[in-house]
Amino acid sequence: MGREVAESCFDGLIIEMVSAYGRRFYATKPDLASRRIEAIGFQVGHQLIERYTVERPRFSDHLEAIKFICKEFWSELFKKQIDNLKTNHRVGTFVLQDNKFRWFTRVLIDPSSEDNEASQGSSSEATSMLLHFPCGIIRGALSNVGISCAVSADASNLPSCESGILVFALKFSI
Amino acid sequence: MIACVAVVGHQNNPLYLQSFTGADDALKLHHIVHCSLDVIDERVNNPKRSVITLNESYLGLLYPTESYKVYGYLSNTKVKFLVVTTDLDVKDTDIRSFFRRFHAAYVDAVSNPFHVPGKKIISRIFAARVSGIVKAFAPGTYG
Repeated sequence: MGREVAESCFDGLIIEMVSAYGRRFYATKPDLASRRIEAIGFQVGHQLIERYTVERPRFSDHLEAIKFICKEFWSELFKKQIDNLKTNHRVGTFVLQDNKFRWFTRVLIDPSSEDNEASQGSSSEATSMLLHFPCGIIRGALSNVGISCAVSADASNLPSCESGILVFALKFSI
Repeated sequence: MIACVAVVGHQNNPLYLQSFTGADDALKLHHIVHCSLDVIDERVNNPKRSVITLNESYLGLLYPTESYKVYGYLSNTKVKFLVVTTDLDVKDTDIRSFFRRFHAAYVDAVSNPFHVPGKKIISRIFAARVSGIVKAFAPGTYG
């Protein structure tokens, strides 16, 4: 019953959305742009988790919900699972690591331009804007199953974005 | 015969309530649905006393009154689905398949980007689908 769309259209949509919010709508206010992008992600995650938890039994604790996000939810979104999950129970933090984040493979970063410092700065800015979207998705998904947390992301190994390792840190307000 | 169906959000806010009896007893059905919410809370918070396993979505018969029976179903996102029926003899499997279809229709309605989470569902397509599911609901063979 569902119709399918080419993945490149989807990638183009996300990149254009991030650049529209970052460069056109809120060009002078990057904080506001990042919050709007995160809010869009929040709503998307909120609605998606509703769909992906339909036949499943209920989660008994936080860890099960996070494991669901790492495995089934991530494979629905990105066709692979989270590669590494670390947790620090006392502090209430979870760290999710994805070794080959699918959306990065399409973000154009030009490391060979003349004005090297400026381009490095703007490319990391572009990716950090883009990262607010998956952070919002995770936060929205968790909030719909009753877990409130703050999600932040950190991407290392940029400019070689093919092998970019993406780390999400989830902090729970328990 | 199904008297009414209801969807209640995780803060016990009503998202959808539709009666199929034709009579003007919306208030009485509201009241019945409201009482059933307490039963759901009790079942979920006291797993030792009830027979239902902690993690199952289908909650079964909640609240038999003299003329109605109320069945409940709890999704993973703490959204409660309730069905009030006047039938005395309803098979478990029929109700379960009803809830499955109801849940699927709800998920489609909530995926609408214009739907505000927490507010009532105003989609006419959802209402039509639910009416279709209710009409198709036949409690097995009689007698």
